[in-house]
Amino acid sequence: MEQVQYHIRCKKDEVNKAVLLPGDIERADYIGTQFFRDSKKIVENREFHIYNGGYENKPVAVCSTGIGCMSAAVAIEELTNIGCKYFIRVGTCGSLSPEINPGDIIIVTGAVRGDGASKEYVPIEYPAVADYRVVTALRNRAKKEGVDYSLGIIRTHDAFYMESPFAFGDYKKRVAIWAEAGVLAIENESSTLFVIGSLRKVQVGAILVAVGNLITGKKGTKDDLQKSIDKAITIAAGALVDLQEGKEKKI
Amino acid sequence: MKKMHHLQIEPGQIGEFVIMPGDPGRCHLIAEHFENPQLIAQSREYVTYTGKYKGLTVSVTSTGMGCPSAAIALEELIMSGAKYLVRLGTTGALQKNINLGDIIIPTSAVRLEGTSVEYIPIEFPAIADIDIVDALIKAAREKNLKSHIGIIMSHDAFYKGSVFADPDFLKREQVWIDSNVLSVENESSALFTIGYLRKVKVGTILTAVANHLTREVITDEEKINPIFYRMTDLCLEAFKNMEKG
Repeated sequence: MEQVQYHIRCKKDEVNKAVLLPGDIERADYIGTQFFRDSKKIVENREFHIYNGGYENKPVAVCSTGIGCMSAAVAIEELTNIGCKYFIRVGTCGSLSPEINPGDIIIVTGAVRGDGASKEYVPIEYPAVADYRVVTALRNRAKKEGVDYSLGIIRTHDAFYMESPFAFGDYKKRVAIWAEAGVLAIENESSTLFVIGSLRKVQVGAILVAVGNLITGKKGTKDDLQKSIDKAITIAAGALVDLQEGKEKKI
Repeated sequence: MKKMHHLQIEPGQIGEFVIMPGDPGRCHLIAEHFENPQLIAQSREYVTYTGKYKGLTVSVTSTGMGCPSAAIALEELIMSGAKYLVRLGTTGALQKNINLGDIIIPTSAVRLEGTSVEYIPIEFPAIADIDIVDALIKAAREKNLKSHIGIIMSHDAFYKGSVFADPDFLKREQVWIDSNVLSVENESSALFTIGYLRKVKVGTILTAVANHLTREVITDEEKINPIFYRMTDLCLEAFKNMEKG
């Protein structure tokens, strides 16, 4: 793959192998400039902002995916084409559990495939599962940082204005089936990222911060949420370091 | 206390840790690994023994073949107090690099069966409990056994997807082979789905006794018994590891 990738505008080995995947362009800028050592912006095209940098003793990268599975699939496909191997989505979500409050952190084991993109790849009965090594690396780093987290299945879907506190009509009714099943939260990218990870044999995981609770209606303050997001970024960047060192065992 | 409708067991008669083979005929072989195993019940395809392993109270209950009977077994075991459950069984490999006798530890399963769909829409992922997966991987590593870790497929119609099926079966399975699915069996996807819904820890350990690509198959019971002994040991060690946290 010597050619320049169509959307992310870079070629083989130009992006470090271990990549954080926020949805938001500004969060990619924030991670690249505030968390990485000697960081360098490589790409700024459409919703894809990419930085290389160092974290602890390892090379890492960050690439924003934009909102939704369509653009997230483009990002992970093209990053895989040019040699990237480890991916952790760092993002926000809406809690579906009365026990998960705004600011709480979720490490994802699998995702309900309520999106459209992953269905083009493989039939719907195929599981959207996070790579077990990434889950372990995230749990180990959370433990090291002394951060509590919830662990479990989330729901990924496409239509924000059907399932969110800003949605039309009775959104609580629409999400009730998932809340009753013990699905922890709702977001928009993980299921497709996980499915593509399994198909292309790269390691993908996700760590999310609940910014609101769809069931209780609780919302977080901007400052508190930012503190949680910083923690999630620290855990995820640390996990990318451990994954590159092959530290898979649970501590 | 009322006995469970199918399993004919009652709360207090089983441990929190349960091994679930498909075949009722294997329960006594598995129970041989327990200290002081007691036959608790024998009803339809469900045979249950309870005993001790290094101080833990452990049980074995067969599920019968397929997700309908496996779902019943799991539901009634949970109602009787089970909290950590591992299916132990055989499987047909879908990848060339998996040899007969290799161990497979699934992280999740394709839901190509009818049972789990009655519980929750098909887009919900059938995922093994990560703590059980970790404990099984650790137990296999400690015994220096090679294991394949990844996605498997669970389905209902043996004679549509096995080395004994009609010659076109590989054509039907190609989509799963291409999607890096490791192997095929008949119970895990419903067990994983129900485990998550009921908030108990469920996992699976399998051994490849066939390879759909090479059409090789082990049918000799004398070769299969040691495979079950080995998986039982791994499973019991995994339970012991989990108890320690």
